[in-house]
Amino acid sequence: MLHAEVKSETLKKLVDIVGTIVDEVKLNIGSDGINLKAVDPAHVAMVHLELTKNAFDSYEAQETELGLNLSKLEQFLKLSSSDEMVKIDHIEDENRLVLEVDKITQKMPLLDTAGMTDPNVPQLDLPIHLVIEGKHLLKGVKASQNISDHIALTAGPDGFDMFSEEDEDLVRLSLSKDDIKELDAPEEVRSLFALDYFSSMIKSVSGDTLIQLELGRDYPVKLEFDFAEGNGHVRFLLAPRIETS
Amino acid sequence: MGVDIGKILKVKEMGLDHLSDRIIAMDAYNIIYQFLASIRQRDGTPLMDSNQNITSHLSGLLYRNANLLENDIKLVYVFDGEPDVMKEGTLEKRLERKQEAKKEYEKALEEGDMEKARSKAQQTSRMSPDIVKGSKRLLELMGIPWVQAPAEGEAQAAHIVIKGDAWAVGGQDYDSLLCGAPRLIRNLTISGRRKLPGKNKYKKIQPEMISLQDNLNELDITREQLVDIALLCGTDYNDGIKGIGPKRGIKKIKKHGSLEAVLDSIQEDINNAEAIKKLFLDPKVTDDYKIEFQSPDFEGMISFLCDEREFSESRVKSALEKFENKRTSQSDLLSFT
Repeated sequence: MLHAEVKSETLKKLVDIVGTIVDEVKLNIGSDGINLKAVDPAHVAMVHLELTKNAFDSYEAQETELGLNLSKLEQFLKLSSSDEMVKIDHIEDENRLVLEVDKITQKMPLLDTAGMTDPNVPQLDLPIHLVIEGKHLLKGVKASQNISDHIALTAGPDGFDMFSEEDEDLVRLSLSKDDIKELDAPEEVRSLFALDYFSSMIKSVSGDTLIQLELGRDYPVKLEFDFAEGNGHVRFLLAPRIETS
Repeated sequence: MGVDIGKILKVKEMGLDHLSDRIIAMDAYNIIYQFLASIRQRDGTPLMDSNQNITSHLSGLLYRNANLLENDIKLVYVFDGEPDVMKEGTLEKRLERKQEAKKEYEKALEEGDMEKARSKAQQTSRMSPDIVKGSKRLLELMGIPWVQAPAEGEAQAAHIVIKGDAWAVGGQDYDSLLCGAPRLIRNLTISGRRKLPGKNKYKKIQPEMISLQDNLNELDITREQLVDIALLCGTDYNDGIKGIGPKRGIKKIKKHGSLEAVLDSIQEDINNAEAIKKLFLDPKVTDDYKIEFQSPDFEGMISFLCDEREFSESRVKSALEKFENKRTSQSDLLSFT
């Protein structure tokens, strides 16, 4: 059972975040809010998202699972402006979701969740922890996109770097300790990532979003941030590219 | 070339990293034509060695494949065999157009209109036995397997994917989807930007994946009906019905159910419609192929490209470095638990 009202903006953000990883997702609905876990088909990136009931204007739910086609939801949300309210109702016997916004009602068939299981989130012990503002990551990614498909993230006691190299081109964004909100980096580490994945993971953040990063040596990166005025939280994991030679 | 059903298909943009470790069956003729057309000097002259042998295709195969191999994409090139007799009309028309374009090219050159010259020169591109032979030789040196199709390359490529020996067909034409390929990847061998026709502007391009089943579901039609729509719009084997493009085609097929019923309703006819449909639905393909990936022969490539075809050694070497030194491979997240 689910009856809820929420700002269109919040759902748009959810689609933006999760849509970078999968097209279809299983939402776990609980009495305190919703959460989801998804991994992309190539097992390169994973997302774990939580949205508490405080993110909603009204929220009434019993535990259930909803199989959602994100591109259909995205199409519907395009009919609304960010601050409009979306009413959500789950009709259990039809397994359909009824969405309403400003005089428009859409009934959307839900996917069968029988084959959709939550992926196991790897438990990683990552040595480096830092918190930086979104604007730095956005700028570093933009610089790298000009020249390469890969981006190396390095961190150590002195700061954090984003680095790309292709043929003779090289670009680096360097943040010193003072540019970083929190830095706990007892050792130097470096991991290389596919830039298209990394850039889509941060595409929904804004310049002042605080982003928590955890890094290791040739190890996945964990990237976390809040959204929906702190009532939503997202954790991404991205597997590294490993240099083989 | 090929069928113009792209307007009704949904595509999904996809970075090269998403294709790591996938095997892609490349529609060789389609891709080589694209190289012959686009890799030219400013006035439209193709790249040539001092013996007037064209080398545009070799340049394309080397540099574009190097990009793909660098991303750990595994390639199989599928070459056309004998064209079906029903394609003769199209082939004749293409030849006429090429001769026409050649005249216009020469005229534009005389008039000093470089942009027009280049655009006309692109339309004169022709495949020759020497180009096919050189392409196969370079692929072998690069360690890329190739398959000889009995008839159409895109049908054989589709067959290889259907059998599970590759993940998707690679090429620009949609015909492989009509032949049942579950997935088609376009824009794989195109550089990062595409010139907009007739303008001096460029658009950034990304590889895009088209899933056959997703599109059939979305359009709510069968593959047979998609083939019917293609015939209405025109294929390599028939001209299509005047005034019917893909969007009207789909409306008509959905309303009437089949090609025959649509043709009845508008009192039109398509010659050999049944036989043409069969070329897509039950094409001539073979199971007699082997896909074996080899290590590249770097010395062989330098000797072929630089010594025989006069490529710049430093440029070739820097392309080779792409898949020699800096190879990285995408790891699996679930392997870190």
